Amino acid sequence: MHMANELLSIPVATGTLAIAAGSLGFICRKVRQVIAAEKLALMGILGAFVFAAQMVNFQLPAMPGTSGHMVGAVLLAIILGPHLAAIVITSVVIVQCLIFQDGGLLALGCNIINMALVPSYLGYFLYRTITNGRFSSLKVYIGAMLASVITMEAGAILVAIQAAMSGVLAVPLSTFLITMIGVHFLVGFVEGLVTVTVLAYLQQLRPDIVADSLPGTVRLSKNAVLATLGILAVLIGTGLSLLASDLPDGLEWSYAERPDEPGFETVVSNPDSRITAVDDFQSKYSLMPDYSARASKLGDVADQEEADIGAGWTSFAGIVGSAVTMAVIWLTAWMLRRKKAS
Amino acid sequence: MHHAHIDKFAYQDSAIHRLDSRVKFLVVLVFTAVVISLPRTSLSILACYAIGPFAILVWAGIPLKFVFKQILLVSPFVIVLALSCPLYDRTPVAVSFGPFSWQSSLGWLRCFVILGKFIVTMLALIGLVSTTRFSDLLAGLQKLGMPKLLTIQLGFLYRYIFVLIDRAHHILQARAGRKLRNLGFKTELRTAASMLGSLFIRSIDTAEHISIAMQARGFDGNWRTLSKLKVRRCDLFFALTAAVFMSGLYFFVKPILQ
Repeated sequence: MHMANELLSIPVATGTLAIAAGSLGFICRKVRQVIAAEKLALMGILGAFVFAAQMVNFQLPAMPGTSGHMVGAVLLAIILGPHLAAIVITSVVIVQCLIFQDGGLLALGCNIINMALVPSYLGYFLYRTITNGRFSSLKVYIGAMLASVITMEAGAILVAIQAAMSGVLAVPLSTFLITMIGVHFLVGFVEGLVTVTVLAYLQQLRPDIVADSLPGTVRLSKNAVLATLGILAVLIGTGLSLLASDLPDGLEWSYAERPDEPGFETVVSNPDSRITAVDDFQSKYSLMPDYSARASKLGDVADQEEADIGAGWTSFAGIVGSAVTMAVIWLTAWMLRRKKAS
Repeated sequence: MHHAHIDKFAYQDSAIHRLDSRVKFLVVLVFTAVVISLPRTSLSILACYAIGPFAILVWAGIPLKFVFKQILLVSPFVIVLALSCPLYDRTPVAVSFGPFSWQSSLGWLRCFVILGKFIVTMLALIGLVSTTRFSDLLAGLQKLGMPKLLTIQLGFLYRYIFVLIDRAHHILQARAGRKLRNLGFKTELRTAASMLGSLFIRSIDTAEHISIAMQARGFDGNWRTLSKLKVRRCDLFFALTAAVFMSGLYFFVKPILQ
């Protein structure tokens, strides 16, 4: 579920980075006020635990050859409380990005939101609402299960929405959503099973850990959760309503330019020279240009073909030139190293 | 203690390794943003941009085999999504490449551009983390405004990843030594859960011991480190070169290649 740089547009990436950074700063400040120094080692080691836990795999039924492993966000949220869990899992996501290169640098904001912030807060909230403070095995079972499935789905839906808002993929949002929800239902279900079984094991061996007597947990007020959910809903809503303007591909494509049909007449054109100049400037220097396919000159088929051939040669030169440059760099380094070694 | 497969190249020494971590981080961040904002259907400009991180990796002496293996390892999600593009975007386009020209669809172009951008940005990211020690990177990030709590958390996490991964290896080995066949989902799940549970309890116990040891040595929740970070002339030179490379390609080469 790690979001990659390439599936995001710059506004979505910076927006999510800003949201993630802002909420992290807020959480860190809040936690800093209540946390004792001895908790810091615990948090760090539980972060490392998540990595170790992801190595413990087990075979899945009905799909021979596949194996599942734990993600661990909900387990940590249940045991550590949402704020500490959010920080721990955020650090896991950052290390996954920086050391294991899973998920891109610009996508870090999305990944922190989808895999750390939403699971720990939503998961904790669901678990607490269902278990309602008292510990009975059925309630814990249902609570942990629902929390795992729903947070997994929420993360998957957010991935689909972020990708759709970026408009890089050609897949329609509905198809993408259905696929993501389907796949992650299975993942979430397995995650829920593992979480429940681990909780049951811990309950037998160390009931003090499960019955949230681990000191330093910060309580979450119900109003705060509702307010956050409301803000999130508004944000996603506005994002989706902007989708139409963020996704000009189909529409703009059909009325503005058709490189594949050189004779195509643009339906919308603005003869104002200032507008044309602005358009030219934008297409030349814009940070977010649309398709690079060349706009065709109206009706001039021969010209277009020539232009196409010319473009073919320049791109040929670009790619071959880059390859040659890289080969030269590599050879030079190789020769220098050999000289040093001898 | 130190795992061979995790950031083993960060401890080498080269001119790139010695650069200030903040400068490297910011350059890679800007580079990624520039690459992501490149047009969605032009491959050739991506090849030009690949030269930068490639040169850095080669100069720093990072084996290219390792780099490409790493990229392949993290690529499945992107590959699946990129391959979905040709299915949905069938607008035909004429592609010409040097002496060859053929008919293709816009979806394929987008697919290859997504993969190309993935490879180029991954090259840059690997270039950053395999030439920078994690502790230096953390110190740099903290100077750049990352919350202190998160820095401490990441520091602890990084310190104990190796310990706990070793432990998980031992547990996995023990299971492999006792299990001869597939035990059915229920038993498999229960075994895995007890493994995870015992790992969890041991982690919590370890954490207790460590925090007692740290408090005995005067740890009060603050990390005091010697700051070795200093932006030197060669750092500025590196940043300048990177800026010239990126903006040169963006403003002069990109318009030609389109």
